[in-house]
Amino acid sequence: MSDKQVTQAAARSEATTTTDPEPTPSTSGDDTTPGRAPDDHGPRGSNGDDRAVDLAMPHLGQIEQAFVERWHENATGCFSSGHKFCREVCPVTQVTRNENHTPTAFHANVIGLEKGHLSVEDVADDYVHCTQCGGCEVRCPNTLMVGDFYRARTETVKVVRAMRAMLVDKGLDREKWKVWNRLTDELKNEPVLGVEGEQPNGQAQVRDWAAGLDIPIGGDTIMFVDCEAAYYRTSVPRATAQILRKAGVEFGLMNEQWCCGGPAAEMGYVEQSMRFARHNVDDWRRSGVKRIIAIEPHDYVHFTEDYPAYFGDEFDFEVVQIIDLVAELIRDGRLELVKPIERVATYHDPCRLNKRKGIHEAPREILRAIPGLEFRDVDRVTQWSYCSGGGGGLPIEKPEITAEISRRRLEKASELDVDLLVSACVWSERPLTAAGDEAGIEVRDIIELVAESAGIEVGGRTRA
Amino acid sequence: MSGDDYRFGRYVPAEQVPPAPKRVTDQVVQRFEHVFEVDPERMTRFQQQKMPTWDTRRIVAARWDHLDAVHREFADEVLLAGEGPDPGPESTQDEGKGANE
Ligand code: SF4
Ligand code: SF4
Repeated sequence: MSDKQVTQAAARSEATTTTDPEPTPSTSGDDTTPGRAPDDHGPRGSNGDDRAVDLAMPHLGQIEQAFVERWHENATGCFSSGHKFCREVCPVTQVTRNENHTPTAFHANVIGLEKGHLSVEDVADDYVHCTQCGGCEVRCPNTLMVGDFYRARTETVKVVRAMRAMLVDKGLDREKWKVWNRLTDELKNEPVLGVEGEQPNGQAQVRDWAAGLDIPIGGDTIMFVDCEAAYYRTSVPRATAQILRKAGVEFGLMNEQWCCGGPAAEMGYVEQSMRFARHNVDDWRRSGVKRIIAIEPHDYVHFTEDYPAYFGDEFDFEVVQIIDLVAELIRDGRLELVKPIERVATYHDPCRLNKRKGIHEAPREILRAIPGLEFRDVDRVTQWSYCSGGGGGLPIEKPEITAEISRRRLEKASELDVDLLVSACVWSERPLTAAGDEAGIEVRDIIELVAESAGIEVGGRTRA
Repeated sequence: MSGDDYRFGRYVPAEQVPPAPKRVTDQVVQRFEHVFEVDPERMTRFQQQKMPTWDTRRIVAARWDHLDAVHREFADEVLLAGEGPDPGPESTQDEGKGANE
């Protein structure tokens, strides 16, 4: 990779929002060179705008310079507002109470770098403190109140990801993330069963979860099974597959399913993420796939934000989030929930569904359709400040913070006097289950519950 | 109003291109019903982002849900702009701290 490409990787934006007023969802996308973000644009002022500030600071290296140029405006939008509505919704800030871990700090540091007040090394560890839940972005008035009016919103998640990409480019990436992503690169799937010793984590086992289900390969519609579901909580893909079959939805699996590449992008390994995405898209093309069912929220975000940014117009696949599909199947009478589940439950809004994607009605519709279930709801806005701590690579580098975020989430559930916490994100369910064991509250996936109520013997496992 | 029936769980690439803007006033344009946008020509310093349809709709839905939550939590009564005149309580002298100084 050339120096120029490395610089662009550091400065890149992983999703479809860039400073381009044209009403298109992505750029041409024919440049998918690893490390080169297709939605990148030149430095400010390169379009001949002579009002652009000259940001070239002698103390900044090439990589930092590109980062600062790319994020100057968004960071200034925050820095000049500085109202910190984001602070108390941030699940990490709630736990660490460290100002350096606030969304505000993640923006202010861009200004600090620009002004020469700090170095990337000074803040490298701070940027690990983010689950990329999106709570800060949606709560920020610059998004919530005027983001649609100005067609420009706060982009904290992208700033965090760009900083992490810069850390990778500069060789300052965190040790555990380095190991995790090296193993992912070798195995082609995330080492979710552990990074020590030989684990049944690789391609040879990627479809083991489907044993006995006889699911075809390829077809118009495929079900994408993320790594945590494929190897760890195998009850989730098993329940999903059997529900779809029962409702008469035709689907297949991929020929060769690699990790979606989302976690690598979240931790800053942009080139690896793009390479994995390329593999998966090529696999879909070979099988004539038109529609992808994403059974996991992180994958849905990655397929609908990063893949379009990587591939531009080439990315013409329909992506369906499983919760939306299952709600529809129940609503249309194609899936009947007959077996009562006599439990008292509350619902955990997974961050990537609720805060980042606005999906919060469908899961509630599903839970209300389960006979026997007493559902004690907490509204989606209150849940902007809830999280499991399971996203953004946080549990790999800072498992103690993840555990504390989950403990607090279960504490909230306890206040409702429930015996069941239902989630819809398999990555949240591991830390929530551990905290649930302590709190005496069972944690289940919504699709597992639906399958049970539909009278399906799911099989698979829910924990190690 | 959350989502206004928009299906956030379905992503169809062709639907993510926002409609071309229609001019509303000399400073405001509109692409979606009830969603006003500053004239893109005016965004010369803080430039507009390439915002797909789902994201605009997500922000609008989140705002309504947030307002609903705030009203539930704090409001005795919610008055909408354009509603008929509300006489309100008869005005009395404000005896709060610092009043009438
Ligand atoms: S992210 Fe938004 S809410 Fe938080 S300080 Fe910045 S501008 Fe304010
Ligand atoms: S994305 Fe979530 S964890 Fe990250 S800074 Fe924002 S609120 Fe905090």
